[in-house]
Amino acid sequence: MVKAFQTSALAALFAAAAVTGVRAADPIRIGVVTPLSGTYAGIGQQVRWGLDLAVKEVNAAGGIMGRPIELLYEDEEANPAVAVQKAEKLFEVAKVDFLTGTVSSGSTLAVGQLAERAGKLIATTVSFADSITGDRCSPNVFRVNARAGQQSAALAVWLSKEKPQAKVFYLGPDYEMGRSTVAAFKASAEKVGASTVGEVFAPLDAKDYTQYFGQVRAARPQVLYTSVAGNDTVRLLSQLQEFGLLNNLSLVGASGTVTSQNIAAIGKAAEGFVTGVGYSTEINSPENKKFVDAFKAAYKAEPDLYGADSYGLIYAYKAAVEKAKSTETDKVREALRGLKWMTPQGEKTIRAGDHQAIQAMYVVRITNGQFKIGGEVKGDDAIGPDTCTRF
Amino acid sequence: MAEVLDYVQFVLAPQVVTGLAFGVAVILVAIGLTIIFGLLDVINMSHGEFYAFGAFAALALGWLGLPFWLLLILVPLAMLPVGYAVERMLIQRVFNRPDRHVTTLLLTFGLGLVLEDAFRLGFGPNPYRPDTPIPGAVELFGIFLPNYRLFLIVVGAVVIAAVALVVYRTRLGAMVRAAAFDRNMAASLGVPVAWVYAGAFAFGISLAGFAGVLLAPIYSVFPTMGRDFILMAFTVVIVGGMGSIAGAVVAGLFLTQVQAIAALYISPVWTDPIVFGIMVVMLMVRPQGLFGRLGYA
Repeated sequence: MVKAFQTSALAALFAAAAVTGVRAADPIRIGVVTPLSGTYAGIGQQVRWGLDLAVKEVNAAGGIMGRPIELLYEDEEANPAVAVQKAEKLFEVAKVDFLTGTVSSGSTLAVGQLAERAGKLIATTVSFADSITGDRCSPNVFRVNARAGQQSAALAVWLSKEKPQAKVFYLGPDYEMGRSTVAAFKASAEKVGASTVGEVFAPLDAKDYTQYFGQVRAARPQVLYTSVAGNDTVRLLSQLQEFGLLNNLSLVGASGTVTSQNIAAIGKAAEGFVTGVGYSTEINSPENKKFVDAFKAAYKAEPDLYGADSYGLIYAYKAAVEKAKSTETDKVREALRGLKWMTPQGEKTIRAGDHQAIQAMYVVRITNGQFKIGGEVKGDDAIGPDTCTRF
Repeated sequence: MAEVLDYVQFVLAPQVVTGLAFGVAVILVAIGLTIIFGLLDVINMSHGEFYAFGAFAALALGWLGLPFWLLLILVPLAMLPVGYAVERMLIQRVFNRPDRHVTTLLLTFGLGLVLEDAFRLGFGPNPYRPDTPIPGAVELFGIFLPNYRLFLIVVGAVVIAAVALVVYRTRLGAMVRAAAFDRNMAASLGVPVAWVYAGAFAFGISLAGFAGVLLAPIYSVFPTMGRDFILMAFTVVIVGGMGSIAGAVVAGLFLTQVQAIAALYISPVWTDPIVFGIMVVMLMVRPQGLFGRLGYA
């Protein structure tokens, strides 16, 4: 009896909260399910900094339609099961209007399914897997960062210009990310005339890559593509250097292969490495300069692509809600489709057909230990076809 | 015909030679493990972390300006008292219980976890890579080999031979083998058994530290590096015979060559299943390993 009373009291409380939710000065709640601990904590940190900075700016300028934004954080530990549980809590208990922050592609796909059932919208600012806005697209999921296909398309443009008709060898880590990145770049590279001379998939955490060098040497490639990450990159690149293979070989790879985390350990062996990314602090535009300065002043650290894309998302959501004059799912979804808005990377457009952001892509080359922009590829040239058939 | 020669020269031979360098690295880690097991009957789960200990110690001392060649001698020496203290103060506390295998395994496993997190707190999670002390490479009959790998093979072989010589050919080695064979009889004949135990443990730890210093320029230094070699080293110890130095050498060379050749002809992904499969078959057919235990041969 007491329990029944408690439940109904709780229900009444929520109902009251829901009713008062429409009052103008009440905050717009955005849930953030992101890894704050574990392997991806570094990425989650950038997501948090980017979102916090944008929200601070928006709120200082009067919020969205006079309502301030409130961010509610939950740690997903880079685990899809935990992400779903935390997202459910945010949707059902905290009644958030919108959700973002998921990092691993598995978490984004899982939380996307939950959002569909809950009738809410989510956006990822980090996940790379093409399938999120491809064959596993969802009407409730948006992506404001560049996907793997856009990154490899940008790199392929560089390849066709600098190394026409190149003979390419592929070396990837043997799991979902490694195989899909190699497949994506191979498709883009062969389209621009490159030929494949061999491919090897090494176990994750391989100690010694020298056992694959025989195959690499025998295939006599001009370009080596790799998508290993973290410590694996340190070993692969330093061993390539040790065996003198870098002398007449161009090294290209995924955007997560050489990062600010491992570049110091790789040292000279990283020199000349080329990759395609959606952001660099070097982008020469007033929007980016303002963003980088504000970011550095607030957090004493440089933003990376995750920080920049998360920052941009808040402005996309603001623009969509102001266009829709509402935070209701259906109206915001309509407003986000085809939305054009300004970000540190310049103007981005959300493609209505698959909810993927179209943006300029950059070819980045490591020169003297710095990530230098070596070329820009227009958004429309990098985006690739819309393969989403669900909506 | 020319193509076959080309293949042997540029693909097969380098594969075998680089496999040899990796084999020496694995044997260096495994040999300390096998001595500790053969003598103390302790499965040292923290062996990989002591390998990392050596690498981090060399890294930190290198920052202070000490040259690599000095560190290669200094760090293993400095790890002797560390190993000695661990044996006397930790292992001995749980050593004389009937469930010794379980208690010492859990103790060393826990010690490994503590050390790994200590490295993470002290040095952060990101990797470091010391510069290769001997840059450049040689080309022998068209086989390309970095100088440092050549150095690794030579120095590793010398150290392994020296260890075998001490254990099998000296009076000290005879005391160690006697203590391993029959502790009580050795003690009654005047062998300082407690000292021999702690000394052998310290020696095993010191060898792991030596491997850490030697391999850091090739495999880089990071908190979880200890896990890299430990599975392979355990496999070598099991296949070679627990406690047998000759067994560790033979099994180490054999298994790393199996890996190298399997990576070429089957697939890199299958190298681990094949090697661990050999270990499982060995445990079923000949559980004592290729060679017998220390003190029994």
